[in-house]
Amino acid sequence: MATKREHTEESTSATKRVKMENGNGKLDSANNPYLAHWNDDKTASADALADFRRHATTAEQASAAEDGPLNPFTGRSLSNRYMGILKKRRELPVHKQRDEFLKLYQENQILVFVGETGSGKTTQIPQFVLFDDMPHKSAQMVACTQPRRVAAMSVAQRVAEEMDVELGEEVGYSIRFEDKTGPNTMLKYMTDGMLLREAMHDNNLTRYSTIILDEAHERTLATDILMGLLKEVVLRRKDLKLIIMSATLDATKFQKYFHNAPLLAVPGRTHPVEIFYTPAPERDYVEAALRTVLQIHATEDEGDILLFLTGEEEIEDACRKINLEAQDLIREGGAGPLVVYPLYGTLPPAQQQKIFSPAPPPTQPGGRPGRKCIVSTNIAETSLTIDGIVYVVDPGFSKQKVYNPRIRVESLLVSPISKASAQQRAGRAGRTRPGKCFRLYTEEAFKKELIEQTYPEVLRSNLASTVLELKKLGVEDLVHFDLMDPPAPETLMRALEELNYLACLDDEGELTTLGSLASQFPLDPALAVMLIVSPEFYCSNEILSLTALLSVPQIFVRPANNRKRADEMKDLFAHPDGDHLTMLNVYHAFKSEEAQANPKQWCHDHFLSYRALQQADNVRMQLKRIMEREELELMSTPFDNKKYYENIRRALVAGFFMQVAKREGNGKTYTTVKDDQSVLLHPSTVLGQDSEWVVYNEFVLTTKNYIRTVTSVKPEWLLDIAPNYYDIQSFKKGEIKTALQRVATKVQRKEAEKGKR
Amino acid sequence: MTQSDEEDDYMNMVFEDAPKGPTHETALQRAARKRKEGEARARQKTKAEREAEAEEARETALATALPETNKGFKMMAKFGFKQGDTLGKSENARKEPIQVSIKEGRSGIGVESEKKRKLREAWDEAARAAKRSKEEEGDYLEERKQHLKEKKMERDLDSAQRTAERLSGQEDEDKGGQPKEEKQLKDVNVLWRIRARRREEKQRDLQQKKELDNSLTSRLPTLANDEDEEDDDSKVALGRDLNPFYTSLETELEPEDPELADFEGLPVAERLHEVLVFLREKYKYCLYCGYQYPDAAMEGCPGLTEEDHD
Repeated sequence: MATKREHTEESTSATKRVKMENGNGKLDSANNPYLAHWNDDKTASADALADFRRHATTAEQASAAEDGPLNPFTGRSLSNRYMGILKKRRELPVHKQRDEFLKLYQENQILVFVGETGSGKTTQIPQFVLFDDMPHKSAQMVACTQPRRVAAMSVAQRVAEEMDVELGEEVGYSIRFEDKTGPNTMLKYMTDGMLLREAMHDNNLTRYSTIILDEAHERTLATDILMGLLKEVVLRRKDLKLIIMSATLDATKFQKYFHNAPLLAVPGRTHPVEIFYTPAPERDYVEAALRTVLQIHATEDEGDILLFLTGEEEIEDACRKINLEAQDLIREGGAGPLVVYPLYGTLPPAQQQKIFSPAPPPTQPGGRPGRKCIVSTNIAETSLTIDGIVYVVDPGFSKQKVYNPRIRVESLLVSPISKASAQQRAGRAGRTRPGKCFRLYTEEAFKKELIEQTYPEVLRSNLASTVLELKKLGVEDLVHFDLMDPPAPETLMRALEELNYLACLDDEGELTTLGSLASQFPLDPALAVMLIVSPEFYCSNEILSLTALLSVPQIFVRPANNRKRADEMKDLFAHPDGDHLTMLNVYHAFKSEEAQANPKQWCHDHFLSYRALQQADNVRMQLKRIMEREELELMSTPFDNKKYYENIRRALVAGFFMQVAKREGNGKTYTTVKDDQSVLLHPSTVLGQDSEWVVYNEFVLTTKNYIRTVTSVKPEWLLDIAPNYYDIQSFKKGEIKTALQRVATKVQRKEAEKGKR
Repeated sequence: MTQSDEEDDYMNMVFEDAPKGPTHETALQRAARKRKEGEARARQKTKAEREAEAEEARETALATALPETNKGFKMMAKFGFKQGDTLGKSENARKEPIQVSIKEGRSGIGVESEKKRKLREAWDEAARAAKRSKEEEGDYLEERKQHLKEKKMERDLDSAQRTAERLSGQEDEDKGGQPKEEKQLKDVNVLWRIRARRREEKQRDLQQKKELDNSLTSRLPTLANDEDEEDDDSKVALGRDLNPFYTSLETELEPEDPELADFEGLPVAERLHEVLVFLREKYKYCLYCGYQYPDAAMEGCPGLTEEDHD
């Protein structure tokens, strides 16, 4: 009861404030020319929303306002297209429960909302909130977070259309390195990571009246941290409302975590899905998957196929093979036409869009119907909804990020999916009509070998960056920070240690000036530190470019059918000292006049990803802005100076001194410093010469241990630039310690000689 | 199993009573050792060796928790963190990082465990087979022994039957009865009737052989009158004389003897037993003493069976 009273008080105070503003507006607009636009806005929108009392509206009222004729938020007349969309919107499952939703929303500060994919929750719930919360009246916003950038962008676009407004005006989005919002924005779709960054500057998130965490079941790192944070913020800000939206029914975990918040569930529009298991385990899951797809195509009724595989290479390969085999089927077995589309994160958006094109028509009138087959990573599992899928083929694997603090490796590994994931995949077959899901494992394996839930990202990530953010957010006691699934203590231990070596935290665990500065950059701490200290090495321009290049997907393209040519092209840019410098050469060439004349063609000719380079250019611009804001000097060593590349390599050491490996004897094998892991240089490296010491960007775990993106460095630099980390006393007895000792003695002797002279 | 193998491991190369070498190595030995060690160091490891080493190093590192000397630990201790604690506020937070398991190849879900299961099954099967073969080994010896024993018993039975027949023949002669040859098969005591039967069969075989020889000689081309020299078959075929046909049929017919069949169906041990008992009771004869005792007490004979005579 107490909470209810609180809310009524709040709503009255809110209405009071609104009234006052209205009053002021009327008063001032007459004689204050600066506030003239207030008047326009208010009179226009007052038509529909004037009688709305905040947190006391009904679905009926909202529907009336939606019907127009004027747009209740802009006051402009509504288009025909809007009316068409509105009709469809009202058929969505969530619409039936609008009143129920509003009641719970009004009565509670926190609400857990469960709606299966297809219920319309992502697009509709924020709009329901707008009509009741009316954030614009208090100059606030409603935020709706998405785990993926693409989703944030596409949903914002869709909702802008539904509300008949311009994207970037009333409805906008904000993702890393791109902000499409304006002063009128009242509904903001954003990545969860962006909201977390905003919280760093505004610990109470005062710009927002309601925060919706969408796709919370995906349990991304940022969503988990946000939940921990918002759990505290709601105690400080009683006027802030929080909605947790999840697509799976295990929402009780969310309820429990948020002090038994009420739950509202909306059924999705799903049809039954029949599940088939294999009688025995499959020896080769890709082979089995291809066989299954072709069998479906040859024998099953009309309906599209969705096959889940693990990665780009595997998917492209499978697409090729299915295409070939399908040709035979069509020719010999009289099967209908089959079109195969790949789908994975790094695929250009235009090609991603292809998956929505309809299945091909029969080859001749009256012939067997055509079919499309989508071969996808697990992005088709939750985030993308493809209609027309009737058959799902699930080999039971996905690529998952794994982090282990003991050997400090963060890698994408092919791992078995969870039961929850398998169910989600199966559900994809029942979107349009009853479907079938073919699991390429036995029922017993499903029961015994698959874990219940996929591990949340927070358990599988390096937390250095998160710890820095939390420190910046003012969370002092990280040990007792209330995460839904706290990671192993060692993960936090390692993160704190790394930040200490990077001088972002002092020995007491307090944020240093450098740490505070590093937290301003949306980058990994090592990259941020490298960028911040780069002026000391007279190469901040170059390090800025390099940081941008390391923050985007792979810039080198190596198509399976043209590897040799691609490698030849890469050799044009190769720098003998390593991959970082090679990437820099590519970027400089890309920015040259010759390339910029027709950058797309130039990239194509040189086997480079135009999209990645363009993105790097954009990231560079954003980072440059932050550097300018933080008054970090941008400078370069003259290119003809022989120290040009050396300075860059030294700056690289300043950030990546914890990612160094030394060659074992004269062999090919390297050993990582401190962790003593035996690694090989990734075959993609250009590093040709014998380099005893290298810094690496990534430790990749496959059946072999690889280090990727490597550049040769001098051991003297390590001792000079990171003396804390390269404290020889702290090293285990072994080849590396001996080598470092030798270097230290040499350096001392040299200095002594200098001293004599 | 392994235990007992270790116990009597005759391949063991450790000579416990071998003389101990000198405790200090000589300069020569040291030089040799150094050289060997150097060679071992300088040798390029094979790819497989390197991979195995890398994997081992990785697994070791993965199994080793960060020590308390870690700087991060000290920062956490400031907030009351102790070794063995978990983070956050939930009760069942994790203590250990998630296991890193690297998938090799494209085997489907369940293949690994299926492999393990199969391996375990094969192992169990091998263990069972080993056990069984051991049992079978014992069985074989046992069987062999039994076989030999039976053979011996058969021999004993044969001689016991011969003796019984002889003694009974003597008795018949003493009584002035028919000699054994003229006795009808069914009148012979079933205990040794088989002997008489075998004899008869042998006789018949000889007879048939003789007849065959005769008929062969008769078929040899002669210039004599064909009419009279026709063999039995021809006669039968021509329907002039059907007698030979019936006689040969008759002789070929085995007379039914259920009594003999019953007796011969018994195990050799029982048959032997019965004959031995018969010999003792009727003739006070012991096969193993090889002696016909004068009185029923059979004083001096240790018993019925061979074992009694050991």
